Amino acid sequence: MFPELNSILSSSPDSFRSGDFIVLSDRQADASFLIHHYLSFYLRAGCKVCFLGLVQSFSHYSAVSQRLGVSLTQAREKGQLVFLEGLKDSIGVISQEESSQSKLPLSYLRSPGAGLECLFKFVESSVSQNTENEDGEKWGPPVLLIDDLSVLLSLGVSAGAILDFTLYCQATICSELQGNIVILVRREEEDVDDEGSNLLQKGLIHQCSLALHVEGLPTGYCRDIHGQMEVWWRSREDAMYNQRKVFHYKVHDKGASFFARGTSSALL
Amino acid sequence: MLLNIVHGTESGGFIVVEDTVKYSGREILKCFINAAIKRGEDVHVLGFETSEAELRAGLDSSSGQKIHFHKGHPDPLGWTCKSSVTVQQFNTPDITRLVQNTPHTKAAVLIVDSLSFILRHHQPVVICRSLQELKKVGVVKTIVGLLHSDLHLQGVVKSVCHLANAVISVAPANNEHCGVAKTTRRTKSGKLMQEEEYFDVSEDAALSVKTRTHQPGHVQTEPDKPKADPTSNLTFNLRLSKKEKEAKEKVALPFVFSQEKKSALLRPTPGTGRITYEPDAYDDFDEEDPDDDLDV
Amino acid sequence: MAVPGIGMAGPAGVNTTSFQKKSRSKLVSIPGTRPSVQNGQLIVSTGVTSLDYVIGGGLAVGTLLLVEEDRYDSYSRMLLKYFLAEGVVCGHEVFLASDRDHPDEIMQELPSPIVDEVGSVKTKEGQAQPCDQENQDTMTIAWRYQNQPKVQNALASSVRFGHYYDVSKTMEPEVRQAVKCHSFYALQESPTTTELSLLSSPYHALLQSIQSVIRKEGFDVSTPQSKVRNVLRLGLHSLGSPLWGDDLCCTDNPTHCHALTTFLYALRGLLRTSLSVAVVTVPSHLMQNKSVMGQIIRLSDTAIALESFRGSEKETNPLYKDYHGLLHVRQVPRLNCLVCEVPDTKDLAFKLKRKQFTIERLHLPPDLSETVSRVSKIELAGGCGTTATGNKHLDF
Repeated sequence: MFPELNSILSSSPDSFRSGDFIVLSDRQADASFLIHHYLSFYLRAGCKVCFLGLVQSFSHYSAVSQRLGVSLTQAREKGQLVFLEGLKDSIGVISQEESSQSKLPLSYLRSPGAGLECLFKFVESSVSQNTENEDGEKWGPPVLLIDDLSVLLSLGVSAGAILDFTLYCQATICSELQGNIVILVRREEEDVDDEGSNLLQKGLIHQCSLALHVEGLPTGYCRDIHGQMEVWWRSREDAMYNQRKVFHYKVHDKGASFFARGTSSALL
Repeated sequence: MLLNIVHGTESGGFIVVEDTVKYSGREILKCFINAAIKRGEDVHVLGFETSEAELRAGLDSSSGQKIHFHKGHPDPLGWTCKSSVTVQQFNTPDITRLVQNTPHTKAAVLIVDSLSFILRHHQPVVICRSLQELKKVGVVKTIVGLLHSDLHLQGVVKSVCHLANAVISVAPANNEHCGVAKTTRRTKSGKLMQEEEYFDVSEDAALSVKTRTHQPGHVQTEPDKPKADPTSNLTFNLRLSKKEKEAKEKVALPFVFSQEKKSALLRPTPGTGRITYEPDAYDDFDEEDPDDDLDV
Repeated sequence: MAVPGIGMAGPAGVNTTSFQKKSRSKLVSIPGTRPSVQNGQLIVSTGVTSLDYVIGGGLAVGTLLLVEEDRYDSYSRMLLKYFLAEGVVCGHEVFLASDRDHPDEIMQELPSPIVDEVGSVKTKEGQAQPCDQENQDTMTIAWRYQNQPKVQNALASSVRFGHYYDVSKTMEPEVRQAVKCHSFYALQESPTTTELSLLSSPYHALLQSIQSVIRKEGFDVSTPQSKVRNVLRLGLHSLGSPLWGDDLCCTDNPTHCHALTTFLYALRGLLRTSLSVAVVTVPSHLMQNKSVMGQIIRLSDTAIALESFRGSEKETNPLYKDYHGLLHVRQVPRLNCLVCEVPDTKDLAFKLKRKQFTIERLHLPPDLSETVSRVSKIELAGGCGTTATGNKHLDF
């Protein structure tokens, strides 16, 4: 959890808006540090988290979360965290050795044209079951985190099918259960005529209530400032509706610091 | 023109509200619903992208029976069997049936949220045909559809807009909260009218259009703050007493010509360059030739 | 999980607390690997010391290095051979898949390691030190710059990791045969399109071949430790070229446009769950569809691109005369930590010398052209009347 980002977005684990649909995107940069932020944020807030880790292994997130002060293994044992290990489970499906029922959420690998209905059913079941922890208290509102959604485009799923999937997730998690969704998508260059990832990102922004876009600095490569992040408030209820602000950021070992443009500590 | 279209004083047909990521057009849809209710017409809403609650927000709650929500939203593809209409049912016979099944009094208005979702699941050709048939059959008088123009190929967007009687494209205005709407309307006689207006949608889905002379970037609601007097709080004196003001008025300015000279200059003389020299008080008019000083 | 080297418990994950850092008994120690200084990950050398430095110390076990080939595939092939030779020298197992030449031919061309000269290179480094001392003492005019670090052109870390190779000699067959080598030749598989699989046939067969090697030879991390652990090095040459049955390079709209990306996704999954490391070369200059290259880079962990000057107009450019080509670092991974080793500069150039593949920071050479005008003045002694013999050039 990055305290500076919390103050920029006016939220904290004790008080955050529910029904939020947050889209993280990047272009020629790596926005995965924001996913780690949200993972530790929502676990600390006591929410039930469903994490679709499609590009990295569980131990990677576990190691980073350790540095941010949250233990993923404990959360998984307690039932607070449901983790789908996309990489590990997909080897069997792709090489067509396994066709068991447990690999059903990844059925899009077998027939990418069919869509993501099974994945949605997996998400739905994991947020609705097991809603109480061992003390009998209810977990907080459910949260879905996806890292990252654009890899499905590389596996042959169409952008339209992915947008349908996110629409269903939003209907179930945000509207019905008043939970939150955070999705990471990775984008291409603007001039590359790619129907896939640009279309996917635009469709998600239409649906979202907050969009964070990470990019490299327009002036070139710099060692002290890793890039810029643009925050776009898109919820009608927000005082800052339809406003965009740009911040510079630098990632370090235990977090990331955000500052207004031109106020990096390397300059001042 | 925007207000006329929304309030339906012009005859119905197929209207497309085109928006982008930068500004959402859903509020305009709500204005259409509101206006239709006020006119006493029946409204059928095909909601695929947003929930009923979100679309109902801000509308008059007493108008509940006039609005028929065909709930596609939580389940538009039939995955969880919760919805009453799926996207597969967007074709002429199914929609006609839907509209005719509900008791209605006057010609109905069909609101589609959104056309982009339907275009994702059907061929554009099929959609265009269904829309045209619905117009012709006459079950619905007006069809209003929301289209996200940045989610489709340009060709598809243009084809759908080509079918429409009116296209409203919304975009954010430069500095303010309101938006700018570019309306293009094609009448039956083939006449084309275009207009660009600044608009704002209030909390209760009422559309207000700002006049054309309203310049962007001008904040009109803030009263002018009384200007701070710059001559106060200085270490030197910038003010003039009354006497000083009078003396100031009396000073003869240079280059103030007498009346005679002015009229001489203003008179157009034919070609001759006359030099009128008027010596003023400080001038030393000498007859001497200054070249006499030269020692050559 | 790129295998963490220090302290984290084994794959079963029976951690109850996070305070297991001192358990040295669980340390995985394999010859030819060492823990990274940044995050304790187990890393291996790529065979080229300066490349190790550029990508942050070395290649982490469980990750994929993508090399975008140069136009004539000369230097990328060399990098692949360095990688395999390093595996042979360290005693790792080697898996090689190629399309054009038979894997055995490539194995015969591996450069031979320089064994004795390691010592002499070390002494050279040692000798460099006293020179620095002298220079430091003799800075009388520019003494303000005394404490500035010397500009490092050659990129090398201080800890010796990896070996040097002599490109002019090939490796002895006995040395090569000391390690187990598995190979896969693409042309032996006939591309069948009748299968309803996601991957086109050679990729599917390659994936199954890799999977069976990993399982049989015990590289899988989840199987219990029966023998001494070793690392498997996978070298996959020219994936995406037409010889692999893929028309990605031929047309704008390939038939199986997701075959290569699905294969790389599955490979990533295999690498993360085993003690293996892969180097894949891809002929990116042939790809018609630019967005696919972006997807391929995102699916790999480390990605570099080689651009050689041969055959391009840059060959005759005097700026580049010292080098053979440019090296672009496209991506550096962040594994098990938030931050990655960010390089100082992105202008890197490489040069293949007989005994070393050097990667240096690209800088402009001094301008020693004849057009530089030098102002020369004859001594102005005229006014004083003394004899000003000779020309004294006053150069400012």
